[in-house]
Amino acid sequence: MADRELTQLLARLKAAPPSAPYAETAALLSRAKLLLLQLGALTPTATSSPALLALARDTYEQGALASIRAKDPDAFTRYVAQLRPFYELLPVGGEEGERNKVTGLYLLLLLTQGLYGEFHSELEALSAGGGGVDVEGDRYLGYPVRLERWLMEGSYDRVWKAMKKGEVPCEEFGVFSEILTSQIRSEIASSSERAYPSLPLSSTKSLLFLESEGAVVEFARSRGWIVKDGQIFFPSAQETGEEEQEKEMSQMVIENTLGYARQLETIV
Amino acid sequence: MPGKTPDKEPVENGGYRGGKDLKPKGKKEGKKASKKEGDDEMTVVVPPSKASKQSSVPPPNDAEGDVAMDDADKAAEGEKVDPVAQTINDIKSNFALLDRAVALFDARFSLRALRSISSIRKRLTPDILAQAISETYLSSSASANVARQMLEAIGQSDVSLGRQPGPEMEIDSESKAAGKNGVKKEVKDVIPEVDVFFGILTQVVLHDSKQLQKGFEFSQYLVERIRSVNRRTLDSLSAKVYFYYSLFAEQTAPLPPSPQSPIVGIRPTLLAALRTAVLRKDVDTQATVIVLLLRNYLLTSHISQADLLVSHTQFPENAANNQVARFLYYLGRTRAIQLRYTEAHEHLTAATRKAPSSACALGFSQTATKLLLVVELLMGDIPDRATFRQPSMETALHPYFLLVQAVRVGNLGDFETIIAEHADTFRRDGTYTLILRLRQNVIKTGIRMMSLSYSRISLRDICIRLHLGSEESAEYIVAKAIRDGVIEAALDRERGFMKSKEVGDVYATREPGEAFHDRIRACLALHDESVKAMRFPMNQHRLELKNAQEAREREREMAKEIQEGDLDEDDLGGEFEGM
Repeated sequence: MADRELTQLLARLKAAPPSAPYAETAALLSRAKLLLLQLGALTPTATSSPALLALARDTYEQGALASIRAKDPDAFTRYVAQLRPFYELLPVGGEEGERNKVTGLYLLLLLTQGLYGEFHSELEALSAGGGGVDVEGDRYLGYPVRLERWLMEGSYDRVWKAMKKGEVPCEEFGVFSEILTSQIRSEIASSSERAYPSLPLSSTKSLLFLESEGAVVEFARSRGWIVKDGQIFFPSAQETGEEEQEKEMSQMVIENTLGYARQLETIV
Repeated sequence: MPGKTPDKEPVENGGYRGGKDLKPKGKKEGKKASKKEGDDEMTVVVPPSKASKQSSVPPPNDAEGDVAMDDADKAAEGEKVDPVAQTINDIKSNFALLDRAVALFDARFSLRALRSISSIRKRLTPDILAQAISETYLSSSASANVARQMLEAIGQSDVSLGRQPGPEMEIDSESKAAGKNGVKKEVKDVIPEVDVFFGILTQVVLHDSKQLQKGFEFSQYLVERIRSVNRRTLDSLSAKVYFYYSLFAEQTAPLPPSPQSPIVGIRPTLLAALRTAVLRKDVDTQATVIVLLLRNYLLTSHISQADLLVSHTQFPENAANNQVARFLYYLGRTRAIQLRYTEAHEHLTAATRKAPSSACALGFSQTATKLLLVVELLMGDIPDRATFRQPSMETALHPYFLLVQAVRVGNLGDFETIIAEHADTFRRDGTYTLILRLRQNVIKTGIRMMSLSYSRISLRDICIRLHLGSEESAEYIVAKAIRDGVIEAALDRERGFMKSKEVGDVYATREPGEAFHDRIRACLALHDESVKAMRFPMNQHRLELKNAQEAREREREMAKEIQEGDLDEDDLGGEFEGM
């Protein structure tokens, strides 16, 4: 009874267009979860039947995807946490569901939040466990992995290219592109400040992946850069920094010396 | 170091010996067996060679008066003594130790009994064990049930219990045993320690004959039994039981990385054991189980769980040295995966130093060193060349040597071919994902080399030399390197080149100061630790106090005299002035 109803609900969820309003999907999802509760499969146990587990997993997966579309990272993280035991219980090699897609999205989320430690823990779990998933070869999983590598080594142009339409494995991944763009832009800006003495306005546009020179000027203003004769000059952060460094350094020396004195006193 | 507290020394000694000599033989070999085939060969091969050395060279008369050594000698002397009877005797001689452990409440004796397992192990067969069991247990005794379980596990369930007046050989051994230790005969009922000792032997037999499934089932039964008995004298024995329990679970199909592996199923048992061990202050079991759990989590790559376990438990301070080394290794591994390289480096260095230096734990040292090398590379350091020269490590570390070379030179092409060539080795060592992270370090080193050798170089050349994708990538990468402080340079976007800044005087920067500070800190820490490690003889301070008091009195007298003298002088002076 209940499971048939659940299957119908799931079919509706899956058939719903990605643009469907979140409230509607959320209503469907909560009904599905109620049904799961009746079936006793809301939390997995070792005794629940594989068919039920698969149903429950599908429900959560739909929920995860819907929450990503609604740009609700907290809900998404919750769904991922709920999905994890199901992935452990269901035999590998069986019907995979949307596992890689959801995991890939989760990886991307961790990346945009700057949680590199968690990102790598998750990655390690993928490459070691799960019966030899080809992480880099997979369409969904390889994407965040490549992005991370490029971000780390600094090939921002590749990240930029990867975020364009056509390169993104599916639309849910596109949700993150906005965050990623601003992230790499600020990265580039901070490295440019140190790397270039000055930059011509025209080429800064392409450097920062901005649309127009007006946007460049605006961006420069927000970072506190000086625009003069079509050139961008960076306020020499170094000078103020150097003074501070000097101060910091002398403070450090004093601290160290005091420390040595204290230690010597205990020794002698 | 000045003399240790006399009454503490033997205990420490016993603990260390138990830890150092016995465990690597039995444990490490098993431990690494499942994980690293390459190293495993070495570790497994080693113990026999060591044994033969022991038997050929007359054993130095150790204070411990090793039973095991004598046996090895006797066995080597030829077949004069029936090996079966001999082995049974050896097994039985341990009962005396266990009895004493219970009577004197001293864990040293149990440790010694455990230590003999490795020598018995080589001669142990199901038949011998069955015979020993049947001679020890009476069919009417309370623990006969346990004995039957063990017999069943080793496939000798037709052997009946309580066979003392059987064939002549047994009478022989019985009388010998009685002669050797009369204590044994008086104890009618078998103590649980002996049960468990037999249980461990059964586990060993099953493991050596690769009856993994059976071994796992039997271990489950044995663990249940241990949990039902609450005896402090069982602690060190039960640690061993848990170890084999987990080992069986690990090797039973489906093998670990799969989430269906039995190791997932034993987690609740291990956690319960940990809880009980902590409550009972059972250090041996606590340390063993924490290590087992960590290993368990890491095998299925549950990094966050491992992290949580570490943060919620406290590893016992006075655990056996080997357990500490293992714990540090697993901890370092977790930290390395979490990108906390500094901590990882610290733990792994400690682990490699704590690892027994003898050849029997070579597998562990190799594995720990491999991981340490990768972590060092990730931190941007280049490992010492001497590490690769050690004869015991050379072959095992060869792929890593090539890797270090590639990273040092900053050659991305070489780096990638090495990864591709040795991917299987790295995967087996569990360092593959870590090594993949090295790519950025290789690029950074490459850029640094460029910046050092050219005062001005076009981005195009950088791109070609470092095999980067495009000029734009090169530009971003160089900019990032400049920001991260890898090189001192400036970019010219219009003309597309990188101009290195003059390398300033290093002595004008804070670097020498920092290096100096680091060294001083290391020296101070060394001093502090050696002060902490000092042991003082008991009651010695009273003597010193007495001496001090005497000295003080003498001083006082002297002061008095001087004072008087002073007065004299003053008086004299006065007189002098007056004159």
